[in-house]
Amino acid sequence: MVLYSFYIFDRHTECIYSKRWTRPVSSSGKPTRPQSGSSITSDSSPAPTRGVMSHSDDEKLIFGLVFSLRNMVQKLGGEDDTFLSYRTGEYKLHYYETPTRMKFVMLTDTKQNNLRPYLHQIWANLYVEYVVKNPLAPVEHPGGIGVANELFERGLETFIKAVLPA
Amino acid sequence: MVVFALFVISKAGGLIYNREFHTGMSKLSSNDYLMLAGSFHGMHAITKQLCPAPPVAADKANSTLAPSPFINRASGLEVLETSHFRMQCFQTQTGVKFLLFTEPQQPNMDAMVKKIYELYADYVMKNPFYTVEMPIRCEKFDRGLDGFVKVRS
Repeated sequence: MVLYSFYIFDRHTECIYSKRWTRPVSSSGKPTRPQSGSSITSDSSPAPTRGVMSHSDDEKLIFGLVFSLRNMVQKLGGEDDTFLSYRTGEYKLHYYETPTRMKFVMLTDTKQNNLRPYLHQIWANLYVEYVVKNPLAPVEHPGGIGVANELFERGLETFIKAVLPA
Repeated sequence: MVVFALFVISKAGGLIYNREFHTGMSKLSSNDYLMLAGSFHGMHAITKQLCPAPPVAADKANSTLAPSPFINRASGLEVLETSHFRMQCFQTQTGVKFLLFTEPQQPNMDAMVKKIYELYADYVMKNPFYTVEMPIRCEKFDRGLDGFVKVRS
């Protein structure tokens, strides 16, 4: 069981919390484009799949992606259809949307079953308890203010250790 | 088992085949289908970009075949799950995408898509009157799909 990353987006399309468990793919100084003269087939080490991207680029891409996928799913399956997850050859993305349009996204390896119930629990037991009910946190969280407090971080860590043993 | 629909998207992102086998998904205008195919093409590319870990190179035991230049390339979206349907996406080496929509919890879909790819190779690509990248109008392909889907439902 490998956990790659976890994101919370608020209803204003902003990423208010993100956490990564593995380092992003480093492009180890190799050219991302194959150069003439160098054989691409004999290259046995895994080539970098992309150039260096900042965390915020990733967050924006993921938000745009789940937003479009969710719209596509609603168009094809009807208004009451909900997008649950998708899987590629390398990873799986799990998605949960609260009634207030907050989006919880988690990236894991491909063998994981649907994590939607867990994402729901993170929202109900951790986010609501430690962020929404925190009297010192603002109502909205521009730039992630008030979300990554100690209780929430610790709760998330213990929750993930308990339900998703490595 | 229920197969709802099959889309074929060309390597440029155009919808070249669109067939509904069973009702259960919303009816859209052909313009909407074209738009969805185009945006899916883009989303598929983004899912490749987001890959958090480099893809594992395939085992080299199969040395009779020439090494594929695409070993280290991340594959894009393969299975999409929603509460109403499940979509299997298969991309060929040449970039054509087959999207098969079935009911959720449908097992063995990748084998089905491969079989449809075979039908495509036999009846569309070998059709001398078919122009690549153009909408597929091949009666034999239609009939082949019909037979294939009906046998299994």
